[in-house]
Amino acid sequence: MTSYALFLGCTIPARQPNYESSVRKSLSKLGVELVDLPNMTCCAPPPIESINLESSMSIAAYNICLAEEANLDLVTLCSGCFQSLAKTNAMLKADKHLKAKINSILSHTGKKFEGSKEVKHYLQVLVDDISIKRIRQSISKPLHNLKVAAFYGCHALRPSELLKLDDPENPRILDDLIEALGAKSVEYQNKLKCCGGLLRGVSDELALDLAREKLVNTSKAGADCITTLCPFCFIALDIGQIQLRSKLNETYDMPVLHYSELLALSLGIDPEELALDTHKIKIDKVIRKVT
Amino acid sequence: MEEVEVGVFLSDCGKQLSKILDFNALTNYVEKISNVTLVKRDSEFWRGEGLQTIVDAVTSGKINRIVVAESLPKLSEVNIVQAVENAGLNPYLVEVIDLKDHCAWPHRETPREATEKAKAMLVAAIERAKLLEPIEKLEFPALKSALVIGGGIAGMQAAVDLADLGFKVNLVEKAPFLGGLAARAGRFFPTDDCAICIQSPASDVKTITHTSRKCVYRSGFSEIPNLNILTNSKVTDVEGGPGNYKVTIEKRPRYVNELKCVRCDLCTPVCPVEVPDEYNAKLKTRKAIYMNIPNVHPPVYVIDDSVCKFRGCAKCVEACPTDAIELDQKSEQVTLNVGSIIVATGFQEFDSSIIKEYHYGDYSDIITHLELARMIDGFGPTGSVIIRPSNRKPAKKIVMIQCVGSRDRRWNAYCSGICCMISLKHAMLVKTAYPNADVTICYIDIRTTGREHERYYERAREMGIKFVKGRPTEILRDPKTNKLIVDVEDALLKRFLELEADLVVLASAMMPAEGTGELAEILGLELDEDGFFKEYNAKLRPTETKLRGIYLCGGATFPKDAPTTSLHAHSAAMKAAKFLTTGKIVKDQRTAIINEEYCGDCEFCPVTCPYGAISLVPTTEEHFVAQVSDLLCEGCGVCVGTCPLNAIELRHSRPNQMLVQMKALMSVNGTSKPLVLAICCSECGHTAVDSSGMAMMQYPANVRVMKVPCTGILQVHQFLEAFKAGAQGVMVVACKSDGCHYEVGSQKAETKVELARTLLKEYGIEPERLVMFGMVFIEGDKFAEAAHVMTERLAKLGPLQMKGEA
Amino acid sequence: MKHGKEEKTTVLSFSNPVKSRLGGETITRCYQCGTCASSCPVAKINPQFNPREIIKLSLLGEEAEVISSDAVWLCCSCYNCQERCPQKVEIADVIYALRNIAFEEQHSPDIYLEFASALMNNGRLIPISKFLEKKRPDYGLPPLQPTGVEALKKILSAIGLGGQSQKEEAK
Ligand code: SF4
Ligand code: SF4
Ligand code: SF4
Ligand code: SF4
Repeated sequence: MTSYALFLGCTIPARQPNYESSVRKSLSKLGVELVDLPNMTCCAPPPIESINLESSMSIAAYNICLAEEANLDLVTLCSGCFQSLAKTNAMLKADKHLKAKINSILSHTGKKFEGSKEVKHYLQVLVDDISIKRIRQSISKPLHNLKVAAFYGCHALRPSELLKLDDPENPRILDDLIEALGAKSVEYQNKLKCCGGLLRGVSDELALDLAREKLVNTSKAGADCITTLCPFCFIALDIGQIQLRSKLNETYDMPVLHYSELLALSLGIDPEELALDTHKIKIDKVIRKVT
Repeated sequence: MEEVEVGVFLSDCGKQLSKILDFNALTNYVEKISNVTLVKRDSEFWRGEGLQTIVDAVTSGKINRIVVAESLPKLSEVNIVQAVENAGLNPYLVEVIDLKDHCAWPHRETPREATEKAKAMLVAAIERAKLLEPIEKLEFPALKSALVIGGGIAGMQAAVDLADLGFKVNLVEKAPFLGGLAARAGRFFPTDDCAICIQSPASDVKTITHTSRKCVYRSGFSEIPNLNILTNSKVTDVEGGPGNYKVTIEKRPRYVNELKCVRCDLCTPVCPVEVPDEYNAKLKTRKAIYMNIPNVHPPVYVIDDSVCKFRGCAKCVEACPTDAIELDQKSEQVTLNVGSIIVATGFQEFDSSIIKEYHYGDYSDIITHLELARMIDGFGPTGSVIIRPSNRKPAKKIVMIQCVGSRDRRWNAYCSGICCMISLKHAMLVKTAYPNADVTICYIDIRTTGREHERYYERAREMGIKFVKGRPTEILRDPKTNKLIVDVEDALLKRFLELEADLVVLASAMMPAEGTGELAEILGLELDEDGFFKEYNAKLRPTETKLRGIYLCGGATFPKDAPTTSLHAHSAAMKAAKFLTTGKIVKDQRTAIINEEYCGDCEFCPVTCPYGAISLVPTTEEHFVAQVSDLLCEGCGVCVGTCPLNAIELRHSRPNQMLVQMKALMSVNGTSKPLVLAICCSECGHTAVDSSGMAMMQYPANVRVMKVPCTGILQVHQFLEAFKAGAQGVMVVACKSDGCHYEVGSQKAETKVELARTLLKEYGIEPERLVMFGMVFIEGDKFAEAAHVMTERLAKLGPLQMKGEA
Repeated sequence: MKHGKEEKTTVLSFSNPVKSRLGGETITRCYQCGTCASSCPVAKINPQFNPREIIKLSLLGEEAEVISSDAVWLCCSCYNCQERCPQKVEIADVIYALRNIAFEEQHSPDIYLEFASALMNNGRLIPISKFLEKKRPDYGLPPLQPTGVEALKKILSAIGLGGQSQKEEAK
């Protein structure tokens, strides 16, 4: 059985039991064990990088050290966590001066970054460890009627030189995984542009402008739902719709689902077990098409 | 053995020096040195009566070693050595030193100290002279023939030059037709006349209808005497050395007999195979049997064997009225013996499809300038009409994008240099043909250096071509209208523009031609960090390589426009001609020599020698021993410094010669300051000392200069010897590590100095006592300053206390 | 850790402190081609923000303008610009470096102070409500592991931020 240390992050346990349970349940069904390690912290994402890059990098390195000690690769569900951890991992592996600098900070916590482990997004685990083929074979409820707009967001793809998830100009990983479930991945304009999630709280207006663009373009393309791979994109697009409605009186009614939720549904996991009430925009339309 | 008798000649430079140096004391001192049989003083010794004195002394047989103290030694030495040789003595038994710039001038404020230093310099020269040995001159035969690789402008120009001078020239082109990129370019800036003229240089010697410039079909190129043209051919191996290369060429079959084909074009209509014509930007198709354009060279059809059906079809064979088509032709190996090689392999367009956001290759209305050039060319696939490839309708809105893959650290960090002018040329040609066309150029900087070029840019503005300062982030395509949209910020306006276009033209970077790396390997040449061939010296020897006999020209060293390429080609041809003209190579044996008994077959020296002069040859006992080619060896001594077993020496700079010099330089102090030995390379290091003296920069007389060919010769133990000889500090003065005249010498010296610094500690010698300096000739001030700093540092450190010494 | 404070008038050297910081190393490579700006989803809809301009101002030494304005906080860290910059300027990282300076100079929006104190106190940016924590078994989720707040505090104080974020909390 393949095992990974699970890096849960902050947002998912605080806001999205739907995401967490769909990932845990579908991965375990596909034979991947997720190990919960004690003493992890925040991954030190962009808000912390904005305050101080050295700290954020040290914090990320600290968390990788925990995985190194447990002799496990790390898997993340959030693109923000993935970016912080994978970027730090790659940079420290490549630059010995930086590594020494960060290690001298880490020495206060009794840790030492070795550079012996990988940091992966769970989509990579699905593709590399399980394979598209096995997913296709494992599903019991193919989503044949579903048109899905794949939304990659930014932080899992870029900077691509460090993250190496997929080609940033023409990513396929999520589209392939969607099609593995029997659904159709629809093309839409500006697919690779940002959802604005990180601007929430700094400039809500700007954040909503960016979210709106996604909703308009995916609707135009005839998508039944948008699928995301990051809790922030999820919030920006799901809660974003509520805000667009209340503040600007705009209604889109576009269901937003994590890829893991689509996966769990087509693996035949009972919707009741997936905390689907977390969704602000109802996803009944999608569920109906599955069952 | 013959008794050594040294004659010493002291020039006082018209009594200038005797105001500072005590020449009587010097003469007395020198006379007492053993084996010195003659001491003369005069105002100069390098010409006139002074020189005659030396010659007389030689011819009379009184002396057989010569030490001359003369100013401007780098100049005077030439004369003296020549005269000595004419007088019948081996010219390498002469040692010339400079008491003016190395002693009197820089120490003029302390004349007494200067005199003492002069004594040390003279003993050093005399002791070295005693150990000098005669060195022979060798002659190697050279073939009066050349190979030119690459049949574009550069190669053709160089080939014709050499052929006209009477050398036998072989021009090898890997494509089936000559002309290279130039032939495809159609027209050239800044004159906008046809590229094909320049493609074929006029021979001054043979053509009957001699005019100043001829295009390919008027030049009679193939009829130039001494010129052997091999198309469809590739160099696969080169053996031998300068003057005598054995070159193996793979000549691919043309399947059409060059002597029989009459270009009747009866073959193409019957050929059933039709493929996209790459040469013409795939805007049309061609048959398996084809010519690129009607006026190519050689004017003979060719069969593309990757698509021809051969015996399964053979329709062309039936159609050909002269039986020119020979489907059974096979690849041939051709062997050529040549004296010299010119590399003229040019450059190629970067593959812009790598830049995904520009969608070159995804959207057919995005093309490169080379492709646009084909549309502009009257012989081209569209007959001069500018179309949108997607629907073949005229293109009215054109956006050009500069620096695609150039000035881009992700691909090619350099500026390709010619694409700004190419875009201006094409923009204006389009605008001239279609005054209503809307042409916009998106640029980062417009680069129009060169004669007439800025005027060209101005004309483009006059014609109404639009310029947007900004590099587009992406080219999009509207799926409904199929129009392209160029997404760009005009940085001057700070405004985002979405430029609509029928046709987008990319100014793709120019990269080293395909196969450049492979050829470099075959020839043993180096490439620069961008992958182009590296010349010997960009400033002074722009078409030479570090390998004598091999020259470079044209785009092979960097993208160039046509005029520069021509200049470059003529230069390379001139260099090759100079090298070949006498039919022999004369070279003295100031080279490395291997002590075969010591050689441990370790392979260090063959890989270290920057000139590939050392090879390992088998000996009887199934062992290998290093062997130096006197022809290739440049006498730098880098191998000497590398050999772990001390198996290599330079004939003109043996370890014992260096040791006596060191000891002698340290034998007299005469100052109250700690003695410093400055070991200088003969190139920038030693000349920097000259220039500080010439400019009368003052530094203390305790600093003593010893010249070596290149600091790469130094071995770690020699530093210890210097300290043992009495030096309190050692300076190693060399060319800057990236400017070493022997490529790697000063880098090697740097690592050895580093190593020595740690080892010296074992002997109780502080590492600060050994310092390396890199400088260029004009940095005399740097040398003077270094001498001061070193002296002060040593004064602070106090006297050297070596372990194991009292 | 304050840079360029005394050079308010001649601040041309502002690119030095930026360049010598983590994230800012590549700023001087910029040749103002504008690829970043046209790649930037924020710049496209908000004229207040333009990454090319922020870099230009920094290179020209307009420290005060860069550090005290809101613009620098509008980047959504999407790395679109960085991905396409032909000079490999690490633009998003340069902006982090500028934000780091701004934070030190106390020019950051309030929300960042909240982030800082949340991190110090809980080891997380977003607190987990007792309610959700209790509900985890119902969702079939394992109990949460303890967070490494102590280690985090040690890291922050090693960098010299520990005190600072407390100061800010006090504000
Ligand atoms: S010549 Fe012009 S287009 Fe070509 S790389 Fe240089 S600046 Fe760019
Ligand atoms: S002296 Fe220089 S050129 Fe000659 S063999 Fe040695 S390393 Fe090569
Ligand atoms: S893309 Fe890079 S080089 Fe161009 S303006 Fe932006 S930072 Fe500067
Ligand atoms: S990282 Fe920031 S500056 Fe760059 S494109 Fe995204 S929002 Fe714009």
